[in-house]
Amino acid sequence: MLQRRFLCSKVYKKPHHHQWTIKQVTKSNFTESLEEITNHIHDCDFVAVSLQKTGSYSAPWHRVLPVDTHETAYFKAKYAAERFQVLQFAVCPFSIRASKVIAHPYNFHLFPRDELKIGMPSYSFSCQSSYLSSMAREGFDFNVCIYNGISYLSRAQESAAKDRIGNAVTSTYVVQSSSTLSVADSLFVERIKSRVRHWRNACKDSTTRTDEALIRSLRKLVLGSEEYESRPCLSIEVCSERQVHLALEMLREFYDDLVPLLIPAKGGGTQAVRVVLTNSKEDKNLFERELQHMEEKQNRRARGFREVIDSISASQKPVVAHNSLDDFTFIHSKFLTPLPPSKDEFKCSLRMVFPHVLDVNHLMKEIGPLKKVTNLPTAISFIKRRFFVPIDLEIPQQAEANESEIHGHNVLRISQLFAKLCSLLKVTPEALEDDSGHLCSALEGYANIFNPCSTSSQDPIDGDVTVWMDDTRKVCSGDLVFLWGFRRGVSARMLKNQLSGSHEVFSEEFDVQLMDKSCAIVIFWNPGLAESFLEAMDSGGISCEPLKEMISEGLRAAGYDIYNKVCRLGLWKADLADSLDKALADTDSLSEAHSKEPSEIYWDTVSMINL
Amino acid sequence: MKKRLMVRGLSETLTLASNNTFSFTRLFCSSTTSTSSTFALKNVTKSNFECALNDLRRHVRDADFVSIDLEMTGVTSAPWRESFEFDRFDVRYLKVKDSAEKFAVVQFGVCPFRWDPSKQCFTAHPHNFYVFPRQEIPVDGPSYEFLCQTTSIDFLAKYQFDFNACIHEGVSYLSRGQEDEAMRRLKMAYEDEVSESWSHLKEDKDTPLVRMADVLFAERMKNIISEWRDELLRDRNRGSKFEGTSSDSNQQFQTIFFNMRPAITLSGFTSHQLRLIQLVTKKHFKDLAYVRVNRETSCVQHLIVYTDSKTDWELVMKEVKDGLRKEAEMKIKAAVGFRHVIDLLSSEQKLIVGHNCFLDIAHIYSKFFGTLPLTAEEYVSSVHKYFPYIIDTKILLNANNILQHMMKKGSTSLSKAFAVLCPQIASGVKSSSLAFKPCVKVEVQVDDMRSSNWNSGAKHEAGYDAFMTGCVFAQACSHLGIDFELHSPSANLAYDEKLQKHINLLYLSWINEDIIDLRTGKAAESSGSTNLKTRYPKILFPNIALIWGFPSKLKGREIRECLCKVFGLHSVASIYHLDETAVFVQFSKPDLVSDFLELKETLERSNDPISVLHPLSKILEGGSTRAASYEIYREICSSPFSKVLFADQAEAIGIKWKTKLLDRKVEAETERDESFSKENGEKTVLLTKAGQIIKDPYCAHFPSDELIDSLYPAEAHLSK
Repeated sequence: MLQRRFLCSKVYKKPHHHQWTIKQVTKSNFTESLEEITNHIHDCDFVAVSLQKTGSYSAPWHRVLPVDTHETAYFKAKYAAERFQVLQFAVCPFSIRASKVIAHPYNFHLFPRDELKIGMPSYSFSCQSSYLSSMAREGFDFNVCIYNGISYLSRAQESAAKDRIGNAVTSTYVVQSSSTLSVADSLFVERIKSRVRHWRNACKDSTTRTDEALIRSLRKLVLGSEEYESRPCLSIEVCSERQVHLALEMLREFYDDLVPLLIPAKGGGTQAVRVVLTNSKEDKNLFERELQHMEEKQNRRARGFREVIDSISASQKPVVAHNSLDDFTFIHSKFLTPLPPSKDEFKCSLRMVFPHVLDVNHLMKEIGPLKKVTNLPTAISFIKRRFFVPIDLEIPQQAEANESEIHGHNVLRISQLFAKLCSLLKVTPEALEDDSGHLCSALEGYANIFNPCSTSSQDPIDGDVTVWMDDTRKVCSGDLVFLWGFRRGVSARMLKNQLSGSHEVFSEEFDVQLMDKSCAIVIFWNPGLAESFLEAMDSGGISCEPLKEMISEGLRAAGYDIYNKVCRLGLWKADLADSLDKALADTDSLSEAHSKEPSEIYWDTVSMINL
Repeated sequence: MKKRLMVRGLSETLTLASNNTFSFTRLFCSSTTSTSSTFALKNVTKSNFECALNDLRRHVRDADFVSIDLEMTGVTSAPWRESFEFDRFDVRYLKVKDSAEKFAVVQFGVCPFRWDPSKQCFTAHPHNFYVFPRQEIPVDGPSYEFLCQTTSIDFLAKYQFDFNACIHEGVSYLSRGQEDEAMRRLKMAYEDEVSESWSHLKEDKDTPLVRMADVLFAERMKNIISEWRDELLRDRNRGSKFEGTSSDSNQQFQTIFFNMRPAITLSGFTSHQLRLIQLVTKKHFKDLAYVRVNRETSCVQHLIVYTDSKTDWELVMKEVKDGLRKEAEMKIKAAVGFRHVIDLLSSEQKLIVGHNCFLDIAHIYSKFFGTLPLTAEEYVSSVHKYFPYIIDTKILLNANNILQHMMKKGSTSLSKAFAVLCPQIASGVKSSSLAFKPCVKVEVQVDDMRSSNWNSGAKHEAGYDAFMTGCVFAQACSHLGIDFELHSPSANLAYDEKLQKHINLLYLSWINEDIIDLRTGKAAESSGSTNLKTRYPKILFPNIALIWGFPSKLKGREIRECLCKVFGLHSVASIYHLDETAVFVQFSKPDLVSDFLELKETLERSNDPISVLHPLSKILEGGSTRAASYEIYREICSSPFSKVLFADQAEAIGIKWKTKLLDRKVEAETERDESFSKENGEKTVLLTKAGQIIKDPYCAHFPSDELIDSLYPAEAHLSK
């Protein structure tokens, strides 16, 4: 039919010279690949995942920064996960044997197509043009993704859509001994009874006769008979659940060769009961099995790519990722349920599905010289230079020569890096898991940590945290003050100079960093000073002329609680200053009791945003 | 995709089938040597944009009118933002505004039409621009972001839209605001740099060389440079060439000419080393200028240039700076990209033709001119300045009796109109003898290929849709009695008296046939003689209450029953589902709105057993049912983000109250005073509707059941 109207079907491919081949999966080869990967997942030790999204953060301060606590980092990740879309999902079941990583990488192309016409999985999604452009530069084929991407439904969506999926379902009604029939009820029952009888007799009759086509079709017309999967059937319109009930009861009472199907109405409920005539008892059983099979098929179609997620989950294998908070907020919101309002709930909910999540980024932090590396290629080349870790990659499956094999390599990098890190950390990967499905204790300590900027502590409040190396210092969120309303284009150093003489609190050690162009953060290294500064600001700088003047020029300040509120309420404006203003303006909710206990932040002066 | 969201009418399916015969021509690479009529329209991407723009300038200048069409990444950002009967004039504009702000334009069709008196036919030049909002130059502020509506993307895919061409090769653009901002920044940077360079004599904040390696390196560089300079001077005195100077054996230094002056290029140094060389040059050689220039390959070249004197030195520096600035300006000009096309259309003041194009124009405004204003009135007056003549073929088709007759009062979708009005183009058969009036002939020209029976476009490809729109317009003009043969080429078609009553009228919403007049910003009377649709009875916005957050299983019918139990059998005129979490309730009297809100408030305040037995408790069950007057809908529609469910949206914009009471009389009075013009516009709408009711009294009893449960109103009405 229609031929593609691609511009000369130009191949926008960047030459890549990888010896690794990764199986690319779209709608057309999904079924077979699903079976393969399920087996691999079953046999492997670990599953590495890596996601390609349509965007991450829209303004500099929207990304997770070192000043973020676990909670605010989660809000930021949640905001991104709810807006952007996953276009590629690479999954790589792998095992580590001696100095070899045996990997089975697959790269799934996803598109949230509304396959069932029920407004799911996604009404709309955001794209950042810089993300799409850089994918384009890597040779990503958007047509393949949109035309042939695999769709999906999240667990929550599947159960919500059960009655809207729109396929005929076998009646699971338990027929109760019917209550008293009203006149209308008995009229209804009598009417359909005679109609069914008539139709059934005619069908039985005509099967033995060989009518002309014309007569056959006329008969069909008169009887209102249709065909369902080559069996004759008849539709009974119903107006209420009560009538559905009556119809089913009548059918069960009088006929054993009729199978009733419920045709769902668009807005929920039942629109009609379809009666299908079977030849015999055996045929009836056969038909019922067919129905079940079809239903299962339909459900599988609805779940789509989520089958892979379910299969990883069912295996209870440890999942290895890079920047796990980003990836798993996406996974949770697209394939499980909408993201819960707090980080703790998120962790609990995720742990039910994926008991062990290992983040290579976090493992790297355990190795001194690597602790500040967050970028995958840098980490790999760093390890190559600094350590001798002979780990080879072996990919037993050879995907057929496919031009788009260049995608999804990150998942292999993650697998290999993970193996190297394990070796550096002296964790023997073969013994990672015992029979009962528990991680070996060596790795257990590294699992399920989702804060990209934190160190080993799983619990930020009472964990025994050590002050890190020379340039990373622990600071309590209570000692941070957000400052905005200053002239645009002021550098952190200028601001610090300006502040130095303005108030007595600044005679002690403090630092200033810009969060974005509109807002800075002041770190007081001595406890209690932040509070006095905020008080001075509140009083309008009484008895402190320089501060008073700065305030009159528009300077504003707020403590960490306001920043936390900005993130919690999702006031994601382009400038942090505007968001903070908005949060301050919401005075009525200021009084609400929110956990005020300060949490600890690892202040890393080097990895702070560069503006 | 337009307003043709989910459901494609049967008519479209049929035309699609009939179009199949042509679809093979959709391959872009169709050979250019072909002399047959199956060449492709002009596809424009980054690579051929400059050239295509130059041609287009000529075509637009000569054109009698220019038809346009846009393809976007979506139409509505949430189901409750779709078009409803219950949209007030101002709400309708807010919905369009939201759509134009959130979604991207991915394809832009422009088709200039010129009447050729010698051939007695129109010549059309269909252009299909692929557009993508790529960030070509660094811009202050948030990153470029746009929304995609899944169904719309899927729709584009169904019509074989080439996303790769769009994202890889699409033409980018800057709005006027963005361009001004970029120029301002450039000017500032330039001035800073100039002032910096003039103050060169003031010794650099001399970063002393501390590291031994640096000191040694600097010393060596000083020697090499000095040697080169001395040799240069010696050679010059001797009058010989210096090309063969021996000191250049080093690969890192190469002698060239820079702006007629001898210079050495520095290559293979690290940026730290280059900084040291710059330092040395500045410190020790007053007659040498260290400059950076951009070469064609967009890589930066570092040079040391020999100058005769101080003035010459300053001249070199200025030349370099000016060069860099010019380059940066060129970059910005290039980044303006597709907006050049819009500027062209605006400056030529040609008659712009679109089909149901209010949203298209809003996209053009928000992408290329500036932020969309808050009210329709303000918006319309600025649009009118940029595009003084816009005509909408959908208005035309519905306004004129002859055309309505021809359309057999059926759908006025673009493809249908094209098939009916221009059968000889649509089907390629030359059967004009059958028609009661000869058809207007259209010849298509793409580059140097011409054809008088061209039809090799694809539906819902912007360029082809623009072509169809133009053909429909030409044909409609002919039916209106405009004789192109008598039409002098210099006269603007927009002044033709037969078009006057249709010009600058657009459907603000097709669903209600609400027309907006671009000259005034007011709602205009539909000039159509008969209405094609069965009209709903008048909608009285003061009578409407909005309820949301009620128990999810509750149906409109049940809500109506509850309310009727309390306020009387005829108290509720209609109920309309906004989405599964919200309903509009239209009461029979405006007072009932405040009665209802007060009652709800009282019930929720007194949490006693009696209130549990109250008939309203069924609606209030769950404790998160909220209610307010119609105003809240406008407020929520104007908020910048979009949650899928209305109840979630209301929560997200920070609504914490349960019931927003009306401050009865007082508020009503002040509101009337404050927004007289708005009210006025509203009244016009109501009046037309009231007139309708009188014509058809039977319709006054509202067929509410039809509306109840209509959770999918968009499907029925959104087709363009």
